[in-house]
Amino acid sequence: MERLLELLRDGHARTLELLAMELDTDVEDVKRQIEYLENMGVIKRVALKPKGCAQCSGCSGKGHPEGSNTCKGCLPDGGFKNMGEMWEVV
Amino acid sequence: MSTATIALLGQPNSGKSTLFNALTGLRQHVGNWPGKTVEKKEGSFTHNGMEYRVADLPGSYSLSANSDEEVITRDYIASGDADVVCILADSSQLQRSLFMLADYAGIDVPCFLLLNMSDVAKDQGKTIDAKAIEERLGIPVIPFSATDTRSYDVFYEAMGRAINNKTRLNLNDLKKQYESIKGYQEICDLIPENALPGYSSMWAAVKVIEGDRVVSAKLKNAVGAETFAKIEEIKKNTQGAVATGGCKFAWIDDVLDKAVVSGEKKVTLSRLDRIYTSRVWGKPAVILTVLLGLIASFIPALPLMGVGSAVIAIKEPVMNALYSAGCPEVIVLVIGDVIIQSFSYIFKMLGFVFGVTLVFGLLEEAGVMARISYVFDNTMGKLGLQGKSVMPFLVSFGCTMGGAAGARVIDNWGQKVLTIALAWAVPCGAAWATIPMLASIFFGPGAVGVIVAILLTMLVHMWITAKVFGGKLVKVEDRYGMIMELPPYHKPKWGSLFRYVFGRTKETFVRVTKVILLVCGLFWLLSYSPSGNTSVLYRIGVAIEPVTRFFGMPWQLFLSYIASAVGKEGAIGVISALYNGGSLGTAFVDSMNGAARAANFNEMMLANVTKPEALAFIFAMTFNMPCVVALAATYQETHSAKWTARIVLYYTVMSLILAFIAYHIGLLIW
Ligand SMILES: Nc1nc2c(ncn2[C@@H]2O[C@H](COP(=O)(O)OP(=O)(O)OP(=O)(O)O)[C@@H](O)[C@H]2O)c(=O)[nH]1
Repeated sequence: MERLLELLRDGHARTLELLAMELDTDVEDVKRQIEYLENMGVIKRVALKPKGCAQCSGCSGKGHPEGSNTCKGCLPDGGFKNMGEMWEVV
Repeated sequence: MSTATIALLGQPNSGKSTLFNALTGLRQHVGNWPGKTVEKKEGSFTHNGMEYRVADLPGSYSLSANSDEEVITRDYIASGDADVVCILADSSQLQRSLFMLADYAGIDVPCFLLLNMSDVAKDQGKTIDAKAIEERLGIPVIPFSATDTRSYDVFYEAMGRAINNKTRLNLNDLKKQYESIKGYQEICDLIPENALPGYSSMWAAVKVIEGDRVVSAKLKNAVGAETFAKIEEIKKNTQGAVATGGCKFAWIDDVLDKAVVSGEKKVTLSRLDRIYTSRVWGKPAVILTVLLGLIASFIPALPLMGVGSAVIAIKEPVMNALYSAGCPEVIVLVIGDVIIQSFSYIFKMLGFVFGVTLVFGLLEEAGVMARISYVFDNTMGKLGLQGKSVMPFLVSFGCTMGGAAGARVIDNWGQKVLTIALAWAVPCGAAWATIPMLASIFFGPGAVGVIVAILLTMLVHMWITAKVFGGKLVKVEDRYGMIMELPPYHKPKWGSLFRYVFGRTKETFVRVTKVILLVCGLFWLLSYSPSGNTSVLYRIGVAIEPVTRFFGMPWQLFLSYIASAVGKEGAIGVISALYNGGSLGTAFVDSMNGAARAANFNEMMLANVTKPEALAFIFAMTFNMPCVVALAATYQETHSAKWTARIVLYYTVMSLILAFIAYHIGLLIW
């Protein structure tokens, strides 16, 4: 895991597969390291799915079309679809 | 009747509840742990004349002090209230799920291990040698399936063995792993065995190294402040949780070594991903994908564009019919020049909104968007931003306001402001509807070239903007790279995709119709002069023309450019109003005597506006401030009137400069 964090220090983004190759291990191993580091608060998951404008200061929930918690033009409900996951070092 | 208590321990989704319910049936009750709001589930069952009490412990990742649940769980276990702990692991991913066992090691309570979900592991083609694992661990280890109630005999058997023999985990190998951590042994030596009742000194030492506050506080009481200060001192030089976690995983790998044979082949990158994730080819591939996407969006746009052309074709017959029916002139003109004219534009715009939303929605659903943000992560770094800034930029292709709202994923204020400032340069959905429409009128197939030029300009614009504002907002400091899990490529769900696209198109239709009719009506009124005199607007226009010409725009287009600051669709309203009836000098006179109008509106514009002028306008409009709503959103997200004003001013100046450049390049070409 020290090596994983060491690799990230160069500022490049890496996929799980690339990490596995560079660390000479398999993706499952990389996944469990990420899970651990996330649980220990060393890295954190990027929230790519903000719930509509749930935290949007702009619209305070008024003017939302029925059955949606997004105002027009704001982020679509459920945020980004199928964007995978991202983690960043805290 | 003799009794024993067993506690169920496992990570979330390991199958604890399933096992608990199967064992206890209805004999269970739910309470709270003393003083906490954490749920406590207890129950009982009898087996072979013995009564057993069962406690279902809260599911958590490990036994560290990250949450109340975890502290309650480990304190309960260490208290010795349970005679035996049943640890559940997920056979389909043992490498990961044995972590709970590794974190448990050092708590001095008998235990046994259930390799649950063994049916899933089998389906994956994995074979697990539980006997080999059992030998290494020194506790009963059994393959198990909590959902298969016929397989519970092995559970009772293992439980019996664990209780009778008080089977404890063999810690030697794990200890050896920890000894490789610098400072571990010294800390361990400073902690007397049983300093924390129920926990071994190994366990306590590891938790101290991991920075566990609860354990540290207790330990300070137990060993005294002086010894604890020494421990703290040694701890400073360790790698902390990263080192101990590494040891735990290494131990798990040793335990599983050769005991698990997985049928899976090594995962390799798909051919497409090999291109996208390549350092050399990634960027060209992504840019090509986006370009092809934009070009492809013309295809679904065609039917609606056809509707737009059909609408304009009925303009003349309708107006003639109204004239001959003796309808007042003003009404005829409003219907023909404002309403029919506007709707022709609206339908053409919608065609592109539909096409772009469909293609980008498709890219997102198929998993290509994720690759795009991956590829541009490093570029973001060079601009002083983080990889996730790509997200707001991608949203901005749809709507800049969404982009500004999306910038909320960025914690750092300076980076957030810079991200929003850059997001303004990304042409929004309304611009994407307007650009191809105007470009195809003026440049025919050359419209594709205009789109490419706009995209390239966007990139340069963003780069310049980052240079202009970056210095004040962000420090390009040492930056950690991020980790991304790219989603697998999906076949899009066409049903939901089309529902989304139609929804968006409808929403746009309503909004755009309102703005265009309003702006078009207003400008038409201003330019309408029943007496045959020149209108107010015309006089103003001619007065400012010397200035606007400098930027390559006739006054009509310049007014349209100004209207585009309200909303890009506003620009279309102005154009629609001001270029409705032949060359402008005679337009108003013509409209008076009801002269025949050219049916083909496109030709009308071609006759009035030169290609370089059109190019200048397209650039000015595209890179003008996005719209009033985006402006408000920017203020809301940045909480700074000063920065919002700066950004507005900057974009106004930049768009005029770009228009000037585009015009002069246009003059060279045509
Ligand atoms: N195929 C299969 N599925 C299982 C097995 N054991 C549990 N499951 C399923 O796994 C899912 C999670 O099981 P739970 O019993 O809710 O897991 P849990 O550990 O109590 O989870 P938390 O309540 O989050 O702590 C359920 O859908 C179960 O049906 C098993 O042996 N084989």
